[in-house]
Amino acid sequence: MNRKNRNLLIGGVIVALILGVLSPFIASTNPDGLESSAEHLNPNAMQNPGYWHAPFENYKIPFLGNSPLAGIVALVIGILLALGLAYILTEILKRRGNTEN
Amino acid sequence: MHIPDGFIPLWQCLIYWIIAIIFLIMAFRWGRKNLNEKNIPLMAVLAAGIFAIMTINIPIPFGSSGHMVGAAMVAIIFMSPWAAVMIIALVLIVEGLVFGDGGITTMGANLINMGVCGGFVGYYTWKALYKPYKGSDGVVAGSGILSKWWSIGVASWLAIFLSAILAALELGWAGTFPLGLGLLFMGGYHAMIGIFEAIITVIVISSLEKIRPDLLSWNKLKRAEADNPNSDNPEVPSK
Repeated sequence: MNRKNRNLLIGGVIVALILGVLSPFIASTNPDGLESSAEHLNPNAMQNPGYWHAPFENYKIPFLGNSPLAGIVALVIGILLALGLAYILTEILKRRGNTEN
Repeated sequence: MHIPDGFIPLWQCLIYWIIAIIFLIMAFRWGRKNLNEKNIPLMAVLAAGIFAIMTINIPIPFGSSGHMVGAAMVAIIFMSPWAAVMIIALVLIVEGLVFGDGGITTMGANLINMGVCGGFVGYYTWKALYKPYKGSDGVVAGSGILSKWWSIGVASWLAIFLSAILAALELGWAGTFPLGLGLLFMGGYHAMIGIFEAIITVIVISSLEKIRPDLLSWNKLKRAEADNPNSDNPEVPSK
């Protein structure tokens, strides 16, 4: 990876991490557009059928309680997961493309 | 806009999953042809950034809130809706499996709404409103109904709005929302959320154009476009 791309990667991750750290403090706790629509149109639909129990439900690390740290750590994990998965997937696709060529 | 589990009957979820997987396979095919050393870091950074910004809900009137999706932004940067399908799929998988944001059974529907509809509507609306081309002097310019930044703003607003309309149609078919009111509420809320999407999309792409213009696909258009600025199919070099 050349220097420009490494700088892009580092700069982009820093921006994402800053957003992640700020998110628990600045994000609105109002329901989102879909939840607001459901509250008006069909509140019963909001009951989770429990098909899947996510490890960090509601973007919080369970054992860190309700502190902002629980949200920050969860978001940092999410950012690094999205980054890592995207990198691995795109690298695999690129290599498969090279092989085909 | 993430539809949770339980909002759509399982048999309908299965249909959306099948459609979503077909689009995902097509996106992977695009990736094999177009991903290279230069754009892989950008894809990874966009996935991380979109995950982060999706967690920041901005308050909108009537006690609601909304967040950016970013599908139009990715599709415009790469000049390909398939890039958006791929990135939004990855972000939805992380959000759904790890954080319980958006259902597992409804992940196919969510990918169709946010990734496929968002990416395709965003990209083709932008392309209909603005046509970048490389002049004979090698400088990239554009022509069209709107300026570059207005076309990006309108395209990203419409991407969010129509994604929400599609979600309302799905929820209407599912019987979860009455169709008319569902369209009204989902359309109304997301028309406001779309303004936020448009502003952030313009800020991100204009920043990228200042910092790394070489990463924007329209700056990599072949010179042949100079002779045909109104071409519908600008070729982006794959390697």
